[in-house]
Amino acid sequence: MRPSFYDHLHPPTIPAAQARLRYSLAAGGLAVFMTLVAGVTGILLTFYYLPTPDQAAKSVQQLAFLVPFGWLVRNLHYWSAQLLVLAAALHLLRVVFTGAYKAPRRLNYLLGLGLLVTCILMDFTGYALRWDEGVHWALVAGTNLVRSIPVVGGGLYFAVVGGSQVGASTLIRFYAWHLFGLTLVLLILLVWHIFRVRRDGGIALPPPQARGDTSRITRKELARREGLAMLWAGIVLLGLAILVPAPLAPAIQSGAALPLESRAPWFFLWVQQLLRLGDPFVYGVLAPLGALLLLALVPYITPQRLSVDELGRWFPRGGRNMQVMVAALSAAIVLLSLLGLAH
Amino acid sequence: MHRSLLLASFVLLVVAGLAFWQQSHALAPLAITPSLTGQTEYCLTCHADLPEISPSHPVETFGCVLCHGGEPLALDANLAHSSMRGEANPSDLTVVEASCGGEMCHSGSALADRDHIQRVTSSLQATYAGAIAQMRYTFGAQPDLTAHQGIYAIDGLSAFDPSAETSPMLQQFGSNCLTCHLSAQPMTGEAYNRWTGCAACHSTAPASDSSLVHSLTTSIDYTQCNACHNQGNYSLADMQFHARTDEPSDRLHAYYQPIAQFTQCEYTLACTDCHTRQEVMGDGQIYNNEKEAEYVQCQTCHGTPDSLPLTHTISSEDELALRMAFLNPVIDLQMGDTILVTDKGEPLWNIRVMPGENGGLPSYELFSKPNGERFTFNPVMGSACQQDPTQQASNTCHECHSVER
Repeated sequence: MRPSFYDHLHPPTIPAAQARLRYSLAAGGLAVFMTLVAGVTGILLTFYYLPTPDQAAKSVQQLAFLVPFGWLVRNLHYWSAQLLVLAAALHLLRVVFTGAYKAPRRLNYLLGLGLLVTCILMDFTGYALRWDEGVHWALVAGTNLVRSIPVVGGGLYFAVVGGSQVGASTLIRFYAWHLFGLTLVLLILLVWHIFRVRRDGGIALPPPQARGDTSRITRKELARREGLAMLWAGIVLLGLAILVPAPLAPAIQSGAALPLESRAPWFFLWVQQLLRLGDPFVYGVLAPLGALLLLALVPYITPQRLSVDELGRWFPRGGRNMQVMVAALSAAIVLLSLLGLAH
Repeated sequence: MHRSLLLASFVLLVVAGLAFWQQSHALAPLAITPSLTGQTEYCLTCHADLPEISPSHPVETFGCVLCHGGEPLALDANLAHSSMRGEANPSDLTVVEASCGGEMCHSGSALADRDHIQRVTSSLQATYAGAIAQMRYTFGAQPDLTAHQGIYAIDGLSAFDPSAETSPMLQQFGSNCLTCHLSAQPMTGEAYNRWTGCAACHSTAPASDSSLVHSLTTSIDYTQCNACHNQGNYSLADMQFHARTDEPSDRLHAYYQPIAQFTQCEYTLACTDCHTRQEVMGDGQIYNNEKEAEYVQCQTCHGTPDSLPLTHTISSEDELALRMAFLNPVIDLQMGDTILVTDKGEPLWNIRVMPGENGGLPSYELFSKPNGERFTFNPVMGSACQQDPTQQASNTCHECHSVER
C-alpha cells in the first residue's frame, strides 16, 4: 500500500536528533500550525466580512463587538498570522545557522523563502482589509511604492490598485488576493515544501556514519511531540487572543484626506524606516528586493565550503560567511524596525 | 509524555474557559436604528441614561451619530469616540456644517429661515469682524473702519492673523482679547463657562463635575448671554481683559455696563425677548460694528407718540412665528393672532397685540422666552411722552426712562 501524506511526513522511525527541540526549534512545525489556525479562522471571518469601502471597517467592528465570539475568531486570526511570520522567520534563521540549506535542500530553501514572502504579503493584504484609518497611510504609501518602479511601475500600480488611486477596486483586489490568489500560492508552496522535507531526507543531519547519536524515535512518539507543541502553541495563541485585541481604528470616510504619516505594520517598519533615507524606489523597492536576493543566494555562495559532516548542529564552521551575512541582515532589519518604532 | 499531553490539554481547556468567561461578561449591546439614517448604532449601550437632547431631535429619529459622528458599532469607548466631531460638542463652528448642516437641517434655504449656519458663521459674534476692524483702524493697520478681517476667512472677510501685524498692541489684542467669539474657548472661571459654536447659547454650559450635559434649547435666559457679556471690560490701555470684581446678587446688578444707561425692561426681560435672532445670530450680512447689526429700538415695541409699532397678523400655518412658538411654547400663538414685527419684518412672535376696548389704543402682552412670564405694556401713543417724534432712538428715551443703580 502506498503511504498516506501523513505517513509520508511521519516515517516509522526517524533519528531522535531530527526531532530535538534545541536543534529544530520546532519553528517550521509551528509555522504550519499557525497557517492552519489562520486558515480556519479566516474561513470563519468570511461569513461576516464585507469587502466594500463603506462596509469593510463596519463589518470588522461588528465582528469585534457584536458577533458572539467574533472578537475571539478575529483575534486568533490576527495573532496566528503575526506568529506565523515570526515562526517562519525563525525557521529561516534556524536553517541558515545550521547550514541546512546545503544541497540537496537548495530547492526547498527557495520554496521556504517563497513561503515567507507569501506570508508577509498575506499579512499585509489582511492588514489592509481592515480599511480603517489605522491602515490608511500604509495602504497608500505601500501601493505608491509600486508606482515608483521605473517603466513598469505605472502599469503594475494600476494592476494592484485597480485605478488611479486607492478605492473600492483596491479593496476588492486585496480581498481576492488575500482569499484566493495568495492563499493558492501559499497552499501550493506549503504542500510542496513539506513534501520535499521528507524527500530530502528529513531535517538535515550528517550522513549516518558521521552521527554521534544513533537513537531513533517512532512515528507515534513524533506525533505526540507534535501534538504537545501544538497544544502549547494553542495556549499561547488563545492567551494572546483573549488578552490583546487585534488593532482597530475608525473607518475611512469616503473622500477622506490622506492621513498624516502613521506607523507601518510591524513587519514593514524596517521598510518605512528605509524610506526615510531617500528615493522611494531605491530604498523602498530595491533595498528590500536586494535583501531578498541575498537570502535567496545563501545556498549558492561558496556551497563547497560547508561539508555534510558539519550538518546537524548550530553554526557549522563551513557556513560561517553565510551566517555572518544573514546575521548582519537580520540585525539591520531589527535595528531599522526599532528605529521605525521609536520614530 | 502522556502526563505532559494531559497537562497541556488541561491548560488549554482553562484558557478556552477564559474565552467563554470573557464572552459572557461582554457588554450587552443596546441597538437603535434611527429613522433618518437607517444605520444601526450602539451608542446607547453606554449612554442610555443621557436625557433626550431636545424635543426637536428625538433619538429614535436622529440617533447619535448623525450629529456627533463616531463609530456606531464600536463598543470600545476609545474607538467609538475617536471619530466624533468636535469632541463633546458637534456644534463647534469648525465642524458645525457636518454636524448640524444639510439642507434638511440648519443650513437650508434663507427663504425658509433655515440658513442658521450661514448666518451664524458670518455674524459678528462668530467673526468678531467689527472689533477687529476697530482695533486695526485704531492702531494703523487699516485706513477705514470697514470690516475686512474675521476670526476665520469667510466670503467677504480674510482671516485675522495677529502674528502678521506689526503693531505690538494688535499682537496683544490677538493673544489677550479674542476670548469671547463663538469659536474661542471660554476663559477659565465659572462665570465664563460655555460651549463653543451653536451650543454657546443653545445649550447649558459644561458641568463643572464633568457629568455629561445633553440639552439644546431655544429658551435662552440672560445668564447664557452673560457668559460673554457683562463680565468685565477689555481695556485698550493695556490690552487686557479686566474681569469685574463685584459679586452681583440680582439681575439689576448683573447688568453691567459702565456709564451705560438702561431702562427697566433691559434688566427685567430676557435679552432674547428684544434682541431678535437676526441681531444675535446674524442675517448673512457682514457688519462693521455692533451698532450696525443691532436695530431693535424702544420704538420697535412701543412705537412713537404719533405711530404705533408695526404689526402682522398670522395668516399661514407655515409662518416662522408659529414655528418659533411651537419650539418654545411660552405663548399659545394661533392663526389670526396679531403680533409685533421689526422694521425688517422679523416676527416678535412672543409679543401679541391686545386690541383696545371700543376701538381705543391697543396694548401688548409679552411672554418672556426663558420662562413664559407674562408682561403687558402700552404704546407711547396716548401717553404723556413729550419727545420730538423725529428723535426716537433709544438713547433719547433713556434721557427720561433710565434706571439709577
